[in-house]
Amino acid sequence: MRQLRIIKAIITETWLGFRQSGWSNWLVISILAIALTVFGGVLQVTTSLQNLVSSWGSQLEISAYLKDGYDAQVIASEIKQLPAVESVEIISKDVAWEEMQKSLHVASVTNPLPNTLHIKVLSTSKVEDIASRIKLLGSVENVRFPLQVARRLNHFRQFLEVAGFALTAALTIATLTVIGNTIHLVIQARQREIEILSLMGVSPFYIKSPLILQGASYGAISGLLAILVLLIVHIYLNPFLSEQLLGFAPLISKSMEISLLQTFSALMLLGIAVGASGSWWTSGRYIKV
Amino acid sequence: MIRLQNVHKNYGGCPALININLHIAPGEFVFLVGPSGAGKSTLMRLLYREEVPTSGIVFVGGMNLNRLRGHQVPHLRRRLGIIFQDYKLLPSQTAFANVAYILRALGVDEREITRRVTSALCVVNLENKSDAYPDELSGGEQQRVGIARAIVNGPPVLLADEPTGNLDPATSLEIVQLLARINERGTTILISTHDQLIVNATRKRVVSLRQGEITSDIDGGLYEVESVSAQSNEG
Repeated sequence: MRQLRIIKAIITETWLGFRQSGWSNWLVISILAIALTVFGGVLQVTTSLQNLVSSWGSQLEISAYLKDGYDAQVIASEIKQLPAVESVEIISKDVAWEEMQKSLHVASVTNPLPNTLHIKVLSTSKVEDIASRIKLLGSVENVRFPLQVARRLNHFRQFLEVAGFALTAALTIATLTVIGNTIHLVIQARQREIEILSLMGVSPFYIKSPLILQGASYGAISGLLAILVLLIVHIYLNPFLSEQLLGFAPLISKSMEISLLQTFSALMLLGIAVGASGSWWTSGRYIKV
Repeated sequence: MIRLQNVHKNYGGCPALININLHIAPGEFVFLVGPSGAGKSTLMRLLYREEVPTSGIVFVGGMNLNRLRGHQVPHLRRRLGIIFQDYKLLPSQTAFANVAYILRALGVDEREITRRVTSALCVVNLENKSDAYPDELSGGEQQRVGIARAIVNGPPVLLADEPTGNLDPATSLEIVQLLARINERGTTILISTHDQLIVNATRKRVVSLRQGEITSDIDGGLYEVESVSAQSNEG
């Protein structure tokens, strides 16, 4: 019960700290919320891209789209002779069209799809070599392989990670400075009270806890605001993705939903950690008890 | 209750206290007198561990303050009541809240807080002004709130650093009489002062400091501002 009463008193002191800080509260919260939104956005996009790449199918596969009028069986046998080719599967244009009509409810038009070969290669290091050799065949219209897309996506993701995290780091430093200044102002406003409490034998824990709790609250409120922004973006982005990206949309939105919860948890934890540590450092520096 | 052995305190090579040896028994009422700069406040700060001695040992309530670690200091201070010249009251809190503050911070039950604060305010005759803010009280009343706050936790020792420094002579005498009544209940009291009137009116033990050294220690002594009483300590 005694501990509960102390916690209640600490919460009351924290509330007084908020009231004393005035507009500084909103300055801290907005800067931290912006930093967390940038961080959350980067985290969300990079995680989604990573999930997308990994769920895109085997990076050991090559898809070869054949020109009309060529026998798929003959070309498949030819490709199977190439070194490092493990297997070749023929997807006839009729089967592919039937599946597409089932999954996407496509209108009844003439089948525009080509016959396709799915070639499985023994090693990722051989994929590009085999793909370029297949592309040279006169019967092959085009070649695509997930490894190529995955590499491009990974480069983009890496750039996004570096730029996003650098921006987040810069904003976090700015936030820590603003939190430090705000808590310093609270300490100055309560200097006399802190001195009296210290001389009366109140523990440093009781004196510093309201300030650390105030910082952690900044982090929690900023985290919630960042989550709200990202949630709104997600809600508006999802229909857009479904509309624009057709076949890839389910894959993207599914991977986004998986990572959304992780991102939100990370935002809350990071916000609280940044807020509390900024206050802890400042109170340690300016309160000598 | 309080013991200082061969205590020296220097500030940047400049001596503030020189070879202080002092023993105060439980229940004693002692004045620490001397002119400004004599080292009274430094000695008081050593007792509540606001300062540490350059050399020598300080004991308070059986605790060796030299060995006291940082986290143990609040424990020491909770066993002391400290009264200040400038009262150190929180202007935004009522007299009751000022006295209750420390108890709330220690997690004391609200009913117990009411009982103890009311009792402390009764001791200092301020039970009718418990809802008043410091700026609505006279200097003497503010100091009485300070005394109520110092005694509310029932400390065995009260340290008062120039408690009448901002008060007129009549109020100063009231404050000292109040402290004498608290002393009669068994609380050890040490008052640092250069107020000749209150020392000489009370005739308690008087320890004189001059330029950081104890120059006399007299039971039932007097304090003469220009020259310290030459009476020897018969106790």
